[in-house]
Amino acid sequence: MIIKGKVWCFGDDIDTDQIYPGKYLPITDKQEMTLHAMEGAPGGEEFMNNVEPGDIVVAGKNFGCGSSREHAIVAIHGIGVSLVIARSFARIFHRNAVNTGLPIILFDGTGEIKQGDRLEVNIENGRISNLSQNKVYQGIAIAPLEMEIMKAGGLLDYLKKKD
Amino acid sequence: MTIIEKIFARAAGRDVKPGEYIWAKLNLVAMRDFGGPNVIQEYQNKFGEQPVFDKGKVAITFDLHIPARDEKVAVNQKFLREFAARQGVKLFDIDTGVGQHILFESGLAKPWDIIVGTDSHMNLLGGVGAAGFGMGTTDIAGAMYKGELYFRVPPTIKIEVTGVLKKLVTAKDIILFLLKTLKTDGALNRAVEFSGPTIDHLNLAERITMASMVTEMSGDIGFIQPNDEILDYIKARTEEKVETIGPDSDAAYEEIYEFKVDDLQPQIACPHSPDNVKDVKDIAKTKVDQVFIGSCTNGRFEDLNIAAQILKGNKIKPGIRLIVVPTTMEVAKKSLKQGLYDIFINAGAVVTNPGCALCTTGHPGILAPGEVMVSTSNRNFVGKLGKGAKVFLASPATAAATALTGVITDPREV
Ligand code: SF4
Repeated sequence: MIIKGKVWCFGDDIDTDQIYPGKYLPITDKQEMTLHAMEGAPGGEEFMNNVEPGDIVVAGKNFGCGSSREHAIVAIHGIGVSLVIARSFARIFHRNAVNTGLPIILFDGTGEIKQGDRLEVNIENGRISNLSQNKVYQGIAIAPLEMEIMKAGGLLDYLKKKD
Repeated sequence: MTIIEKIFARAAGRDVKPGEYIWAKLNLVAMRDFGGPNVIQEYQNKFGEQPVFDKGKVAITFDLHIPARDEKVAVNQKFLREFAARQGVKLFDIDTGVGQHILFESGLAKPWDIIVGTDSHMNLLGGVGAAGFGMGTTDIAGAMYKGELYFRVPPTIKIEVTGVLKKLVTAKDIILFLLKTLKTDGALNRAVEFSGPTIDHLNLAERITMASMVTEMSGDIGFIQPNDEILDYIKARTEEKVETIGPDSDAAYEEIYEFKVDDLQPQIACPHSPDNVKDVKDIAKTKVDQVFIGSCTNGRFEDLNIAAQILKGNKIKPGIRLIVVPTTMEVAKKSLKQGLYDIFINAGAVVTNPGCALCTTGHPGILAPGEVMVSTSNRNFVGKLGKGAKVFLASPATAAATALTGVITDPREV
C-alpha cells in the first residue's frame, strides 16, 4: 500500500498529552476529538489550522509516550493524517495505531526529512521516497501479524474473523 | 527463559523467544471511569450485547474523576454502571480508590498473571509479581470479547540493586535515580526485572513505587519476583490457586545494570520530564505553592506514614497548600485508625477521598499558571496539571519536608 503526502515535523518524546491534552478526555465523540489534534505540541496550532487530508506526521524518538489514551490516534487519524513516521514509538501508541488502522513506519533518520517535504511511502516494505529531496530511505514496516490486523480493518474486525 | 518470558510462555501454551509475536490468554481485563466508556462503546459497536469472555475476569474501577466532577463524567459513570449490571461484571465504585491497587487488594490480580487495563500505569502490578499492561480502548474491547491478545514478547533488562538506603531515602529515590540514568526511553519495548538484595527487602508499597515508574522509562513491564510477604498478602485475598513461576538459572537478559544505593541522596525530578532528576539538595530553596502526597505511585499507608512522621506536631508553612490523598479506601481506613488523619489535618493539610487525584488535570486542586507543585506522583509533563504550572516529582518524605518549609527541602533537614 502506497501513501503519498506532505510532511509535518515534530520532535522527540511527543507525549499523548501534547497530541491530545488530558482536559479533553471526557469527550467520547470521535469528530469532536479531531478538533484538538496535536493541540499541546510545539507547532500544534499551525498544524491544526493547516493540515490537509493525507498529510504525514514525522517525529523523533518515543512518539506517543505517556498515557494510554486512544483519543490521540483518533484525533490525528480523524483530522486526516495518513501515516506517522518516527524514530521510535511508545508501545501503547504503536498498538493503538495498529489496532485502529493508522499506518506507522519506524525510521531512524527522520531528522533528514523536512517540514513540507512530499513523501511517497510503501507501508508494507518500509520504503520511503522523499520526492522533494529526491532521496530514498529504508524504514521498518510493522510486523506481519500487525499488518494482517491493520488490513482486517483493525483488531476488533480481526478478532471477529478469527472466531 | 527470563521470568517474564516464562509468564508469556504459560499464557501462550508454548515456549517463547524475545521479539516473537504470540497470542496470550489473559487472567484479567480492567477498565476505569475514563477510557472505560470508550471501551464499552467500541465493544457494543462491534459485538452488541454479546456476553464478555468471562464475567469473573472483567473489572471496572472508578478512580479518576470521582465523585463525578461534571455532567459528562456523571453520564459516563452511569453508562459503565449500567453495562456492569447487564453483563454481571465487577464494578468498584467511587468509594474504593485507584484501580490497579483495588485489583490486588481484592485478590483479582495475582502474581504471574497477565493483566491488561486502560491505565498507562498497569505495570505497577509488577510490584505484586503480575505482568500488567496499559492498553488503548480497542485492545481492551478486544480483550474483553476474546480473553486473549497478541503480544510482542519483550527482551528483558535486569536491574540489580544492592546496598542499604540511608534514613529517609526511599524506593522513590531509587527509581528517580534510575530514570536519571536510563532516561524516559531507557526501557522502550523492553521488560524490566528488578532484583538484588535491596529489592528483595522492599515492602509492598515500595515495590509498587518502583514498578509503577517503569512506565516513565517506557518499559512494557516492571517486574519484581514476589517474596513470602507478598505471596501471603495475595493468598489471604483470593480463593484461587497461586501457581509459582520461578526464573530459569540460564535466563538470557538483553542487558544487566547494577546499582549501589548506599550513598544515594534524596532525588527529585524537575520540570518537565521525569528523567530531569537532580539531588534534592542541589535545588533546595526553590519556592513551592502546593504539595501533593498520593497517586498510584506513592499513596499507600507506608507512604502516608513517612510523611505523617515528618509532619507530626508541626504546621505547614503559611501560604502553602498540602493535599493528601490515600490511594485506596483500605489505606484511608488504616490511616484514620492509626491517627494519620489527625496529624495531616492538624498540620494544615486537606485530605480528600481516595483516587488518582492530582496525578493529572481533571481533579480539583490544579495549579494557576506559574505555580509550582511538589508531587509524589509519576509524571510532570508540560500542562499535566494546568497550563504554565511546574511540577517536581519526589518521595513522600521530601514532599512533607517541603510542605513544612515552603521551599524544596531535603527531608533529613527538618
Ligand atoms: S494516579 Fe495517575 S498514573 Fe496512577 S492510575 Fe491514577 S491516573 Fe493513572
